[in-house]
Amino acid sequence: MEKNTFDAIVVGTGISGGWAAKELTEKGLKTLVLDRGRMVRHGEYPTTTEDPWQLEHGNKPTLHDLERQSVQARTGYTISPASKHWFVDDVDNPYVEKYRFDWMRGYHVGGRSIMWGRQSYRWSEMDFEGNAKDGVAVDWPIRYADVAPWYDYVETFIGVSGQNEGLAQLPDGKFLPPMELNCVEREFQSKLKDKFGRALTIGRAAHLTGPLTHNESPQRSSCRNRNMCIRGCPFGGYFSSNASTLPSAQKTGNMTLVPNAIVYELIYDAKKGRATGVRVLDAETGAQTDYFAKVIFLCASTFGSTQIMLNSISDRFPNGFGNDSGELGCNIMDHHLGAGASAMVEGFDDRYYSGRRPNGFYIPRYRNLGKEKREYLRGFGYQGGASRAGWGSLQMASELGEELKKKAQAPGPWSIGMGGFGEILPYHDNRVTLDRDRKDKYGLPILSFDARLRENELRMRKDMINDSAEMLEAAGYRDVRIVDETYGIGLGIHEMGTARMGRDAKTSVLNAFNQVHACKNVYVTDGSCMTSAACQNPSLTYMALTARAADHAVRELRRGNI
Amino acid sequence: MNRREVLQRVALLMGGAVSAPAAFAVLNGYGKEPGPDWKPAVLGEPELAVVSRIVDIMIPRTDTPGALDVGVPAFIDGILKDVYSQDARDRFLQGARDFDAAAREAQHKPFVKLSAQQQKAFVQKSQDAAIADERALSERKQKALVQEIRDVTMLPQRTETAPETHQRAFILTVKELTLLGFFTSQPGATQVL
Repeated sequence: MEKNTFDAIVVGTGISGGWAAKELTEKGLKTLVLDRGRMVRHGEYPTTTEDPWQLEHGNKPTLHDLERQSVQARTGYTISPASKHWFVDDVDNPYVEKYRFDWMRGYHVGGRSIMWGRQSYRWSEMDFEGNAKDGVAVDWPIRYADVAPWYDYVETFIGVSGQNEGLAQLPDGKFLPPMELNCVEREFQSKLKDKFGRALTIGRAAHLTGPLTHNESPQRSSCRNRNMCIRGCPFGGYFSSNASTLPSAQKTGNMTLVPNAIVYELIYDAKKGRATGVRVLDAETGAQTDYFAKVIFLCASTFGSTQIMLNSISDRFPNGFGNDSGELGCNIMDHHLGAGASAMVEGFDDRYYSGRRPNGFYIPRYRNLGKEKREYLRGFGYQGGASRAGWGSLQMASELGEELKKKAQAPGPWSIGMGGFGEILPYHDNRVTLDRDRKDKYGLPILSFDARLRENELRMRKDMINDSAEMLEAAGYRDVRIVDETYGIGLGIHEMGTARMGRDAKTSVLNAFNQVHACKNVYVTDGSCMTSAACQNPSLTYMALTARAADHAVRELRRGNI
Repeated sequence: MNRREVLQRVALLMGGAVSAPAAFAVLNGYGKEPGPDWKPAVLGEPELAVVSRIVDIMIPRTDTPGALDVGVPAFIDGILKDVYSQDARDRFLQGARDFDAAAREAQHKPFVKLSAQQQKAFVQKSQDAAIADERALSERKQKALVQEIRDVTMLPQRTETAPETHQRAFILTVKELTLLGFFTSQPGATQVL
């Protein structure tokens, strides 16, 4: 038991777990960090330097890949020879979907911090106030001022490139130099401002566009504009746990990192009224081990943590760990996407840009701000970009033979496109439960999802499409085309909400510091803690909340409160 | 039949319109030296001959390598074998036979027996007609979507891709795979692009 006892246990090594590991170890806690997947050290990215001709079948997924990873392939871009190894095998890792549900994930150290989109936006005061003002679900127990210093802290450490714009709905941050908008995007920016009074800014991306302002990550260097990020970056050009937080935790000498460790249950001591540890299955041998600690951080991803909590049944918690409110597993949110427009752009054929910028433009939310009242609540932001076509555009060109080759050597026509990321409201009935009749290959009950878009989101989608087409048309671009793609909740890979924070233990699972209301030495700091979804990419907020919770946990430990 | 015989048969089938090195290149494995016994896994001899001729017309050797030099037919065969569903594979093979049949109907000769000039013209004409079809279809779909959105206050959550009623024409499938195979090959990506 001695050797299995630590000051703290962190479950998960993704965006949140990496931060919990770094903060807790740097504050002197002997910390056990568990991940259910295989070990990946920074640099161990198997396809990161492969040239196109080294990837079989032109990087198309094979029939075999699509059989094994049929759900993960729903994104349309993740299951290719270049990146399929970062996504789970769906045959081995099944779940039930009562309505189409997209659970995109990878089981390895670093989690989705390796494949994430790197877009990093702060939430604003109106996002934290929204539920209370609109009478939706429950109020956030925190406000922007509670998180602002932690946004400063995590942005400074990870390095976020971006441009401060002074917008109320998208707070400024501590940014590295912004990447550049190209000539078409700049023109579109000024037209949007003139004709609609709407802002367009370069994406705020967790890439190093200049030196970090600290010396704690010597293993990282500047972004090379390769735009092969999903494969893992050997330069540490973008933030991942592997390149950033885990090396910092390692350096303290306080971290014990154990991969292939599937946490399936929290151990609860009813007499003490606290969790004493976690039960672990070795993913390779099936061996069971119990680990113990004073404080436990669940950072196993929204549904990963919820699965552990739902599976942790005791006399005190017959409906799942900390689930006195009945909200555990409910209120699933994501960002709905796939609605937008594109167009062709003329007049810039003598202009080009250099590099493969791993970023695009961002149009912050403008709907339902101030006095505007649409037929739905909240809003959406757009992500998009303008570029010149490559050889792919030859498909629909008439030229063949020598003419085709000549055409391939010149930059193709300019086009511009954008798609909305829309807020999904928290609905109690959008939920995940454990299906105890169906087990995975480890004998653990699998998750069963029942969640769909509702009227608010479906009304919003009409605006997402119409507005994008209207803006492109107003800018004078031709051949404007709209899209409305298929979507299942989860496809935004921004799943949130199944163990929400709140002021009242009767209606929420976590308190203002991410502690389980009914068991204060368990903190849950991944996306499951979110009380509403806003429309900004959420990872930066998970990082800030995790660092804040770790600070709180260490202070509470020192005070003897947990 | 050994590799040498396959080579001779294919060269023969491809007629005078193709050089010996080009015929040899047809049999080259994609992106690497061919094994001594490489044979197509999916494409039969007649289909291989038709496909090889089309890809050579689409991306010929000039002062830089062409589709046959980088083994695009082998690339296509690999895609048919490992990437395409049985349906898509069958459709491709039928497409090759239909393409040849259309050439016979138009010119009273199998495609590979036409003169180089006639072959080029036939490929160009087939391609341009297929592009026009696809463009028209895409326009119709776009108009329908615009109409649908105009008429509703909220959109449905689309969870399933609508069953595809239109299949990409054989000639455009060959082009798609030729562009992909060629421009992701080392010579295509480094000497042409």
